[in-house]
Amino acid sequence: MSSCILTARNLSKVVPSAEGELSILHALSLDLNAGDSLAIVGSSGSGKSTLLGLLAGLDLPSTGNVELAGNNLREMDEDQRARVRAEHAGFVFQSFQLLDSLNALENVMLPLELEGHRDARERARGLLERVGLGHRLTHYPRQLSGGEQQRVAIARAFAAEPDVLFADEPTGNLDSHTSQRISDLLFELNQERGATLVLVTHDERLAHRCQRLIRLEGGHLIDAVEP
Amino acid sequence: MTKLPRSRLVALAWRQLLRESHSGELRILFFALIIAVAASTAIGYFSARLNEGMLMRASEFLAADMVLSGSSPAADEQISQGQAQGLDHAQTVEFSSVIATDAGIQLASVKAVDKAYPLRGQLKRADKLYGPEQPSSGPAPGNAWAEARLFAALNLKIGDSIDVGNKSLKLSHVLTYEPDRAGNFYSLTPRVLMNLDDLAATGIVQPGSRVKYRELWRGTPDQLAAYKNLIEPQLEANQKIEGSRDSNRQIGGALGRAERYLNLASLAAVLLAGVAVALSATRFAARRFDASALMRCLGLSRGQALSLFGLQLAILGLSASLIGALLGWLSQFGLFYLLKELLPPDLPSASFGPALAGMATGLVALAGFALPPLAALGRVPPLRVLRRDLLPVPASSWLVYGAALFALGLIMWRLSLDLQLTFALLGGGLVAALLLGGLLLLGLKSLRRVLARASLPWRLGLGQLLRYPLAAAGQSLAFGLIILAMALIALLRGELLDTWQDQLPEDAPNHFALNVLPEHKAAFEARLAELSPKPAHLYPVIPGRLIKINDQPVQQIVSKDSRGDRAINRDLSLTWAADLPTDNELVAGTWWHAGEPQDMPGVSVESELAESMQLKLGDRLSFVVGGLSRDVRVTSLRKVNWNSFQPNFYMIFEPGTLKDLPVTYLTSFYLPPQQDRQLVELARQFPAVTLLQVDALLAQLRSIVAQVTVAIEFVLLFVLAAGLAVLFAGLQATLDERIRQGALLRALGAERKLLVKARRTEFGLLGAASGLLAALGCELISFLLYRYAFDLTWHPHPWLLVLPVIGAVLVASAGILGTRRALNASPLTVLREG
Repeated sequence: MSSCILTARNLSKVVPSAEGELSILHALSLDLNAGDSLAIVGSSGSGKSTLLGLLAGLDLPSTGNVELAGNNLREMDEDQRARVRAEHAGFVFQSFQLLDSLNALENVMLPLELEGHRDARERARGLLERVGLGHRLTHYPRQLSGGEQQRVAIARAFAAEPDVLFADEPTGNLDSHTSQRISDLLFELNQERGATLVLVTHDERLAHRCQRLIRLEGGHLIDAVEP
Repeated sequence: MTKLPRSRLVALAWRQLLRESHSGELRILFFALIIAVAASTAIGYFSARLNEGMLMRASEFLAADMVLSGSSPAADEQISQGQAQGLDHAQTVEFSSVIATDAGIQLASVKAVDKAYPLRGQLKRADKLYGPEQPSSGPAPGNAWAEARLFAALNLKIGDSIDVGNKSLKLSHVLTYEPDRAGNFYSLTPRVLMNLDDLAATGIVQPGSRVKYRELWRGTPDQLAAYKNLIEPQLEANQKIEGSRDSNRQIGGALGRAERYLNLASLAAVLLAGVAVALSATRFAARRFDASALMRCLGLSRGQALSLFGLQLAILGLSASLIGALLGWLSQFGLFYLLKELLPPDLPSASFGPALAGMATGLVALAGFALPPLAALGRVPPLRVLRRDLLPVPASSWLVYGAALFALGLIMWRLSLDLQLTFALLGGGLVAALLLGGLLLLGLKSLRRVLARASLPWRLGLGQLLRYPLAAAGQSLAFGLIILAMALIALLRGELLDTWQDQLPEDAPNHFALNVLPEHKAAFEARLAELSPKPAHLYPVIPGRLIKINDQPVQQIVSKDSRGDRAINRDLSLTWAADLPTDNELVAGTWWHAGEPQDMPGVSVESELAESMQLKLGDRLSFVVGGLSRDVRVTSLRKVNWNSFQPNFYMIFEPGTLKDLPVTYLTSFYLPPQQDRQLVELARQFPAVTLLQVDALLAQLRSIVAQVTVAIEFVLLFVLAAGLAVLFAGLQATLDERIRQGALLRALGAERKLLVKARRTEFGLLGAASGLLAALGCELISFLLYRYAFDLTWHPHPWLLVLPVIGAVLVASAGILGTRRALNASPLTVLREG
């Protein structure tokens, strides 16, 4: 379990702005082994989400390189990166990001279908039962509470058995009680499935449940806690 | 919160509007309105001016816009009243006279004209017999022009003198074209044109002589209408006033149809305007749900919230309408520039009417269609601030939508001034919309069951439609309306023009031959058979006058102004026939059969004339023919195709009735072009025969049809452009959500291909449903229009079944094009959203 699943080398991100170029991430490098969990913390605007986007291949760095499960993301076009994501990555977002036009079951089936699994329906049902929503399969997102929606999102994130799970403020929109249950669920499933977890959060308590922690400020890495 | 002063509310509305001016939906609503107003303004201007232009073409047949004619000179007061209205005036005097030369005499129809004649159209002459013709003003004093057949009959050449009464005139030119001659085929004798100044010297025109005085008038429609109103009550019994619309039956019919057609196109544009505005106004409201809830939380009353957004809409609507009207006004110049070859050079400029109508269209459509969503804004519960999924309480919008439709109907009626057309269009559209909208909704809902088994792109595409089935049905209805409007226009363009063209086949007769004497009949018929590919039938003609109906003098029965008036105050060309002429259709009674004994010979009467004279089967008519009285009984009524250019008769007698009277023969025939030489030879061979060319009239009719065709095609382009704009406006409304979805799917690992497939499924289905709806609606409306507005026979149009395919392709391509931003959305967007 010590092989490197995610590698970042010298990542920088510069975006154009009204006042000229704005550097939002500076020469950041990290390695993540399979099964590791990493928390990225920092204040608003520190570059956490930018880093997550780069690591997951949702965006390309201005300089530097990301390798996800042995795939050099920089050398790929968007469709190729999409295939890598479909195969190796799972996502949990702060605002749940369920498709309103699909019901709970169909939302969870989505990544499985993207990968062409024939047993998508059965696997999705099993996952929803695992997150405690076996009785809500045909409900649409607007018929579910925030906590329920996030549980559907977690089920969806684990559906295709990703190597790396990217979570962006997964409890940011939830009350503390629900938030506790959601983070428990997240770590339990992560443990069960042996996935690598990359977690962006404000919540120090949540962050400290991870094996490693890096702190960003103004796009610079200012602190790293190793296990 | 204390009551907000109105001025602060206005200022607030204005500031918010300015602040949000960069937001998508405001721009879309703004541009949708501009496009809508511009399209309807441009079409309004175009049809108004084109109508005027075509009326002017029709005026050529009168050589004026309006003519006051009579058998005695017009009173000085009648003329000075016209001049006081600012009308231009010209005068002609027509009479028959024997033209004497050293070589012989010939009865001619002489027309004395002043130097202002003609006021519309052109007079043309040639320097030598059968030489090239040029436009010119009338003959100078002392000169005369004559038609070629007078030269032929009297063996004259240019420079010879002829005597008209006591006055000797020099023949300076050959008269080749008189604008106001074409419509009058029954002027049997050759024309001599002279100057009005020479008239007194001829000594011909004396009190009591048979003379036709024509006062020609030219001016703006308002001036003409004012003059007509002024003069009509004081007309003498022998006088009548005629406008360009009633000058010629064929042109009148073509104009009427063209007018209806252009009106129909404007109506389609109005419908599209409504759809465009409805789509973007709904989005305008939806995007303001949050703002409205927040304002209500901050203490704004429901009424104030409504006023605030209402004011924003009003400011937006007014400014967009102004810009749209200006654009429309400008683009009609482009339109006329493109058509400049076809249109008369001195087209009248149109008033502010079309611009105002265009703006009213935009504003009424905005009010009508934005009111229901605006009303919903007032009902947004303040709780929406906490629960974003709280939509406004649904209310019965029927009343508001009813008001919108009523307003739309009013605009349409105002534009078309045709209640039947408006009802056919609005009623057909409404019935189709309700019926098909309901079906669509049911269909969509039942699809939900099928959905579970469908593949991913289908589920994604269909899911999008199914998420808000009402919205999908509404959208489909909207696209359906656009396709319907375009299909209807294409359908009518094709069919109405075909109908016109069918009435004027390429080999329609282009010449009339009159005064064929019985002894020349056989030879003339034989000669015609050599010249013309189509055999011509020679009809016997005897002039006769109807004097009594059932022993009552006709003047007591037939009112002035009616068409019957035309039949009683002049000689009718009477004929007899054993068989019903081919283009005639028997509408009442029976045709005679040889050997059936009758108490009195029969006559068959043209049905419209019979109607205006209130004739019925069995009535006894008394004619004076050749000084003798003849009584006949009406045994049948016939419908006559006046557009056929075949000799047509109001009265056809039973054979034998008119036997012992002097008769001549009349026919029309087709002579292929470039056979002028043969025509001249024909004229030389039969000098007594009067040959009339109707080519000019035919050419004019064709040119009007061609002009209308191009105009219609152009208008169709306008409607198409407006339709596409509407389509994009509709797509823009769902763009944000699509971008979010696209980004999410990309983040989860979907390839672009999948997104494209899902979109194709969604829009393809939507388009196919719209097309189906359009096909059914189009068939329904065309049925109503053909049946009740155009009086044409209706047949089903199987080709309309391609509409679902066209709809699917059109909406799918436009949909993918319009949402390409969503296809290319960066998956990173999903992180920013949170």
